[in-house]
Amino acid sequence: MLRDITLGQYYPGESWIHRLDPRVKILGTFVYLISLFLVKDFWGFLFSVICLGVCIKVSRVPLKFMLRGLKPIFFIILFTFVINMFMTRGTTLWELGFLKITREGLYNAFFMAARLILLIIGSSLLTLTTKPISLTDGVEKLLSPLRRFGVPAHELAMMMTIALRFIPTLLEETDKIMKAQMARGADFESGNLFHRAKSLIPLLVPLFISAFRIATDLAMAMEARCYRGGDQRTRMHGMRLGGRDAAAGTLLTLYLAAIVFQAYAWPLIAPVVRQAV
Amino acid sequence: MPIVIEVKNLTHIYGAGMPFETVALDDISFSIETGEFVALIGHTGSGKSTLIQHLNGLLPPSSGKIFVEDRDITEKGVRMWDIRRKIGLVFQYPEYQLFEETVAKDVMFGPKNLGLSEEEAEERARAAVELVGLPWDEIRERSPFALSGGQRRRVAIAGVIAMEPAVLILDEPTAGLDPKAHSDILHMVETIRAERGITIILVSHNMEDVARLADKVLVMDSGRLAMCGTPAEVFSRAEELSELGLSLPAPAEFMNRLAAAAAERGMEPPQCGALTADQAEEAVLAWLRETGRL
Repeated sequence: MLRDITLGQYYPGESWIHRLDPRVKILGTFVYLISLFLVKDFWGFLFSVICLGVCIKVSRVPLKFMLRGLKPIFFIILFTFVINMFMTRGTTLWELGFLKITREGLYNAFFMAARLILLIIGSSLLTLTTKPISLTDGVEKLLSPLRRFGVPAHELAMMMTIALRFIPTLLEETDKIMKAQMARGADFESGNLFHRAKSLIPLLVPLFISAFRIATDLAMAMEARCYRGGDQRTRMHGMRLGGRDAAAGTLLTLYLAAIVFQAYAWPLIAPVVRQAV
Repeated sequence: MPIVIEVKNLTHIYGAGMPFETVALDDISFSIETGEFVALIGHTGSGKSTLIQHLNGLLPPSSGKIFVEDRDITEKGVRMWDIRRKIGLVFQYPEYQLFEETVAKDVMFGPKNLGLSEEEAEERARAAVELVGLPWDEIRERSPFALSGGQRRRVAIAGVIAMEPAVLILDEPTAGLDPKAHSDILHMVETIRAERGITIILVSHNMEDVARLADKVLVMDSGRLAMCGTPAEVFSRAEELSELGLSLPAPAEFMNRLAAAAAERGMEPPQCGALTADQAEEAVLAWLRETGRL
């Protein structure tokens, strides 16, 4: 069940998207996430869904794999949906006691849910097509101009690398401890909420101890190899932008322009155009 | 002897339908009799851990059947709870699963999950802790994290023994221990078997231990059951074993080399086939006597 978390997992491949420079992909993902908050209506969403769909197709990562990332946050989506549906003021469509569904509520609920789903899938596409190592290299490179303002770019990137690197390790550890406790008759799946929360203690205590042990060992191993941060470090694989990256950048700019135009400029000029026609 | 565990055509595939799909177990069949001491050997990644997790229902097989005391545990509707009280599984580095404030509470975790009362659970915990060779009164109120590595491992093993299983599976119980703690743990396993008459399945990389303790040896190789037989049978196939990345027990290796060296010098070679240090000693003494050197 814990293996379903796809965030931070790499899906090996050789597609066009896999081979893009990580910086372009990171920026692209950011642009996409921002665009999701710019769009306001159905057509805007449809456009961003289609664009994401094309990217997924090009990446050749199975859609099934992407959707699995949604499972852990299913309840958050549902919760947002329900809250939005009942809590927005507007024209009432349906009423029962103090519960009220409004047209605006329904509208908001759908868009919030769609936004969350696209956010997750959009960012999964980044982590699924980019090796964690190149991802953090990209972050470091993107943050490096901020170094002169005191942003510890290398350290941040190293922290990210370590965090990503240890997600599978900790999941494995969790799986192991869970099984060991299940072999002793522990039950993590039944009972009410309070009961279940209590049943997590035999899992969480050993997990924390393991995490600290792993952290100490890693720190020791890094110091044994004279790690002292990012000063004067060179890299084995330099990053170079190519024609592919330029093409991706152009497409990205066009996408953002289209979204901004559709959401902000079109409503202004539409009456003028209509009048002219 | 009645059969306690029977495995039929067991296959397990990890990540079926994914790019990382791997066949971890491939059509495995064997049976284990009540009271037998079974050793499971194979190089790292050969599927030993996956196999033992099937035996108490922690992993569901992709296909095949597993019978525990004639009950098919792969069937739907079998209560895993029933299986896990019969088959105790001690994982590798079991000390990492300790979590309670005191040794007593931790060892009582299993029995209490079985629905036993506080008194019964405590009684079982006391018996289990004493069986693993630790002083109950001295240790019961101490934190498990304040114990030494070897002691912590014993407490963790006691936690499984306290459930009074009919079969005890130990996955490399001596990994990372010093020689003293190593022999203590194995001695403890023998004691438990003698006192409770339970079936033992031991996963081990130590061929000497396997040769000395086991009645039956299962050899795994990339998910298949490569060999199955008595230690004498299995260790007589030295070449095949070395192809599987395994070795002979050092005394057996020594006897083979001694025999070869003797033959090279035109002397009568000693009797091979000794697996343990004791047997090798006897064989060498007998050889010296025969050749008139003693």
